Amino acid sequence: MIATNRAAMFTITFTVGYAVIYAICTEFNLPLLTYHPVTGEVDFLSKPPRSGPAMYWYGWLLTALIGATILALVATVTPERWMQRGITFGVLAAVGYLIVYSVALFIYDKATIELEFLKSRWLSAMTAIVVAAAVSLFTPTSWNERVWPGWVWVVPIGAMAVLGYYLTPYFTR
Amino acid sequence: MVFWTSLLIVHGLLAVALLGAITHQAVALWWPVRAASGSFVARFRAVPSTSYVWAIIVLYAVTFVMGAWVYTHYRYMSRLALEQLRFLKTVGLFEVKEHLATIGLIVLPAYWAFWRRPLSADYAEARKQVTLFLAVVVWANFLIGHIVNNARGFGS
Repeated sequence: MIATNRAAMFTITFTVGYAVIYAICTEFNLPLLTYHPVTGEVDFLSKPPRSGPAMYWYGWLLTALIGATILALVATVTPERWMQRGITFGVLAAVGYLIVYSVALFIYDKATIELEFLKSRWLSAMTAIVVAAAVSLFTPTSWNERVWPGWVWVVPIGAMAVLGYYLTPYFTR
Repeated sequence: MVFWTSLLIVHGLLAVALLGAITHQAVALWWPVRAASGSFVARFRAVPSTSYVWAIIVLYAVTFVMGAWVYTHYRYMSRLALEQLRFLKTVGLFEVKEHLATIGLIVLPAYWAFWRRPLSADYAEARKQVTLFLAVVVWANFLIGHIVNNARGFGS
């Protein structure tokens, strides 16, 4: 199962990039615009509610659209093997961060002495990045010749899992 | 109110059409007919998958736009009522639907690329996977939409 043309490269990178940027936008609230449905007004970037609730979803869609389009355009002029390595690195770093940070918090909770440094997100992120870089650098060349089309559903599932996790308070309160 | 209700009904009808199209395509792709048969199930599985591609893309896009439009009214009317009634699970389900709809939309360009004619043998597996993924997203969104819409009953 291999990607063989620029249209596929563009669309695969667009989907992968959009899923990741969209998840980041919702987590850190980075909308390109804010819509106020009661008054019908639109503000640039994130603005607090006024005269009723504010809607950021449309803004997140636009932010992710711009970011993903730029990434996809870059992908069309980047060697395919580097795109595959790049996506592999990104996925490994994201999964690695989740694992390392979860283990660090688990150890912190169970430890009988104060290990404050384990609560650092940066430490977990750096560890995950180093491990992901090493693994993606040493993956067999045959794995990196083409961009794997399966990223198109694997990365969105990962993004959906992260988004779902942040919605758990709705179901546990 | 009549306008928003009409919009919601049209959104729902388009979703039904999309559900039928993507289910037909996914079943035909994952469970193809090996021998001719006159049964309903066999005929359901025997449809030409390729002919559904543009219908699915257009139906998804139009259903998404209508849903995004109805969403404005939901946000300042229905959701506020649901929150006041402490229907937090219902609100949470709608948030899931919002994200799922987005995820399905962003898969469409790749779906189109994999289904572009002439069909590439390199993408045979990718076509099956992305079609199934899209079918799961559409089904999940359809069911969530029903549950959320029924939380307070039609016209309540």
